[in-house]
Amino acid sequence: MKTPQENIRNFCIIAHIDHGKSTLADRLIEYTHTVDERKIKEQTLDNMDIERERGITIKSVSVRMEYTAEDGHVYELNLIDTPGHVDFSYEVSRSMAACEGALLLVDAAQGVEAQTLANAYKAIEENLEIIPVINKVDLPAADIESVRRQIEDVVGLPADDALLVSAKTGLGTRETLEAVIKRVPPPSGNLDAPLRALVFDAVYNTYRGVIVHLRVVDGSIAAGQKILFMAAGIKYEVDEVGSLQPDMVPRPELCAGEVGYLICSIKTLSDTPIGDTVTGADKPAREPLPGYKEVKPVVFSGLYPAVATDYDELRDALEKLQLNDSSFQYHADSSDALGLGFRLGFLGLLHMEIVQERLEREFGLTLVTTMPNVAYVITKTDGEVMTIDKASQMPSPGEIDVIEEPYIEADIMCPTQYLSYVIDLCKRKRGVHVRVDYIDGNRCMAVYRMPLAEIVLDFYDKLKSGTRGYGSLEYRIIGNQPGDLVKLDILLNSDPVDALSTIVHRDSAVRLGRALAQKLRKLIPRQQYEVAIQASINKKIIVRETIKPLRKNVTAKCYGGDITRKRKLLERQKEGKKRMKQIGTVEVPQEAFMALLRVNEEDND
Amino acid sequence: MTEPLLGIYIHIPFCRKLCAYCDFVRYPFEEALCEAFLKALCVEIASFEGPTRAKTLFLGGGTPSILTERQLESLFSCLFKIFEFSSPEISMEVNPDDVTAASVQHWERIGVNRVSIGVQSFDDATLSKMERRHDAKGALHAIDLVAGHFNNWGIDLIYGASTKHAWQETLNITDSLSPPHVSSYALSYIPGTPMYNATRARMEDDTVLQLYQDAESMLARYEHYEISNFALAGFQCRHNLIYWKNECYAGFGPGAYSFVDRIRMANPPDLKDYVEYPGRKAEVTQIDLFDEEVETLIQHFRLREGISPGYYEKRFCESMDKNFGAPLRILMERGLLESHEGRIRPTAQGFYLNDEIGLLLVK
Repeated sequence: MKTPQENIRNFCIIAHIDHGKSTLADRLIEYTHTVDERKIKEQTLDNMDIERERGITIKSVSVRMEYTAEDGHVYELNLIDTPGHVDFSYEVSRSMAACEGALLLVDAAQGVEAQTLANAYKAIEENLEIIPVINKVDLPAADIESVRRQIEDVVGLPADDALLVSAKTGLGTRETLEAVIKRVPPPSGNLDAPLRALVFDAVYNTYRGVIVHLRVVDGSIAAGQKILFMAAGIKYEVDEVGSLQPDMVPRPELCAGEVGYLICSIKTLSDTPIGDTVTGADKPAREPLPGYKEVKPVVFSGLYPAVATDYDELRDALEKLQLNDSSFQYHADSSDALGLGFRLGFLGLLHMEIVQERLEREFGLTLVTTMPNVAYVITKTDGEVMTIDKASQMPSPGEIDVIEEPYIEADIMCPTQYLSYVIDLCKRKRGVHVRVDYIDGNRCMAVYRMPLAEIVLDFYDKLKSGTRGYGSLEYRIIGNQPGDLVKLDILLNSDPVDALSTIVHRDSAVRLGRALAQKLRKLIPRQQYEVAIQASINKKIIVRETIKPLRKNVTAKCYGGDITRKRKLLERQKEGKKRMKQIGTVEVPQEAFMALLRVNEEDND
Repeated sequence: MTEPLLGIYIHIPFCRKLCAYCDFVRYPFEEALCEAFLKALCVEIASFEGPTRAKTLFLGGGTPSILTERQLESLFSCLFKIFEFSSPEISMEVNPDDVTAASVQHWERIGVNRVSIGVQSFDDATLSKMERRHDAKGALHAIDLVAGHFNNWGIDLIYGASTKHAWQETLNITDSLSPPHVSSYALSYIPGTPMYNATRARMEDDTVLQLYQDAESMLARYEHYEISNFALAGFQCRHNLIYWKNECYAGFGPGAYSFVDRIRMANPPDLKDYVEYPGRKAEVTQIDLFDEEVETLIQHFRLREGISPGYYEKRFCESMDKNFGAPLRILMERGLLESHEGRIRPTAQGFYLNDEIGLLLVK
């Protein structure tokens, strides 16, 4: 049965990690009997193991619910779940563009966080009706009045009528659904206009190919119709449309205002850019929907199989994983030190961790990962402009006229007692102070501009540890700026190791070179021969550390029965050695390639 | 094929005083418990199934010299009922305190022909630090008595427990006494021992290596025939060579191991378990052919003489070069092994870094 447009509500939930978004979604799904109760798993919408373990949403999933409201009418509620992390901010904005309203979920004990704010601003930009919802009101530490004030003062939204819920116990679920109906406007599209539908997500299904998640803005879409993806410029015939409940339920058509899925024999996700507009191939719309952007990776790292013979397996795994996640890019690459591998581009740091973890976990691979870095734009003295995403591509200093690196503006929210720490940390990371906003008596938000490269290293861990976990970070890329950057090389036994080279700021190059060499001395085990570790800047050696040779490694006694124990012990040790990379005659453990991330571990901060 | 000749090991798990560094299976001596143990031991020996011809007998511990004449005699009669020895080496580990004119005569009378004295050090400070019962004077006295009755005897030494000077002094005295056999072990701090728990500052590996090299140079008259063992010509320990050549042996007593027909078996280390169920095994492991090959190589490379490809081929009916050529060549390039008169043997480095050899040979 088709729902009249005025009975449709499309909304999303925006929240900081751990503020209870998925739990609230579960309650709404339960209350509207959308999922058979026997099938309810904790957090229905978080599909991946990693998501459930980390309590974050990586891939968004949407769900259609039917709800009979207090006014007696049946409403179609489309909850569009948004990815929960800064790395996916473009995808978040597209999901929001598919909605008319948003529940702004704030933890009653934690208050407004940087991510809450960033997403709330995005929702305001998309003209969404925002309903503040204060969650976890049953906690002893809940401070509802303070959270209300924060929503008013910081986010700038009235919070008198904020809903008070406990997603855990189900308190306030009905009130939430009623508020969605009363306060979120119905969709305003024109059913008679040419089809325009916004692609806000796409997932890969082994049996069905690509499943496109879309919001029909104007017109309608039905099976058999010929359609055109306007940005991709590719035409298809619709095989099936339907709604997500959250399992796919086919329907004859999807009309203006509705949210659902589309299957049309698209083979790969990369053919389906998020934010693209679907229109009729025969009677196309004149203009696509606004806001489409091509997403470019900002963080890069090398990925190599720990055992060279696993190269083919890694390639297959990347191919398969990209069917599920088109937001990372990869191409074959090689390193003198690490052999054949791949270079990957990610939307951000978390995205990088997730991809690496999924490759290891879902495909059983053991990987060596190189230091993450950003892309640099270099103007050479001969006028040529090049973009590099790894240090070994850097031209010699004489050939470089200008080198530019990406900058971000970071919003860092923390309790005021940690502000001086945060300011100090930002300064050390080449941050430029923009302003500090005080949220209430207890918390503040520092805004800094700084190079993305500094965030990519260890900023987030430092922020978390220095603020006892209370600091939160949100950032947006604001463009490139020139920097005084140099290439820092590491040499093992006088041979430069490309996989250990990095691009760093000149002012910290010597300090980092020293720290890196010292860290490597600790990470690389003693070997039969002496190992010299040197750091050099522009071919000039700045520091040398020496790993003394292994002089003695012998089991003194070996009598009856000891040999089998010893053999097994040796086999275990050998297993550990397999995780090391042989560079020349030196065996280097995997952690060494990420050593720069840890060079400051011993600092007193 | 002729039946292989066994080495027989008997573990006597009692000591009058438990040394702080030791992690062998041993218990404080109690008369009644010892009697019960010996009874169980004879049951275990009598129930042995397997080859019965033997070439060596080794009484170790613990402290075998704790046993009375009667107890030793009844143990030997048990053994001789089951096993047939042909010109055997019969070794016994003894504590200097237990060595008297009478005991030495008795050991000789019942057939012991090799005595190994647990001297550990000739430095009193070192001995008291290791909480040994005897002092240097007692050790010298014991050596005097043993050397008067046996051609084939040896002493055990431990280094790394005190100063470099004390160790060199011990080596000097050793050299002057000329025992036909010397075992010299680095003090190892084994988790679980009182010494391990009480010691915070461990000796640096480089320092331990220096002490080891001191032994090598000061015992230059000896053949350094195994990583931790030195012998005058003709006095290598035949029993221990069985282990280092990975040949077959049968062990009796708590915690003892056997290796017969490529099956490795371990007795329960707990004395109560052992006494209650003599002959019951705690572990039975079938060693597959590849593992036996690896273990055989690893063990042979503890010996200065190494291994000959001919021996390997005869034993495993396969070529050593075919099975292990690649890792052996790498080890030779690394200077840990060398080719010498048709054999492949460890170098001096190959002794210091012996576990690196094994590491390359295992799967």
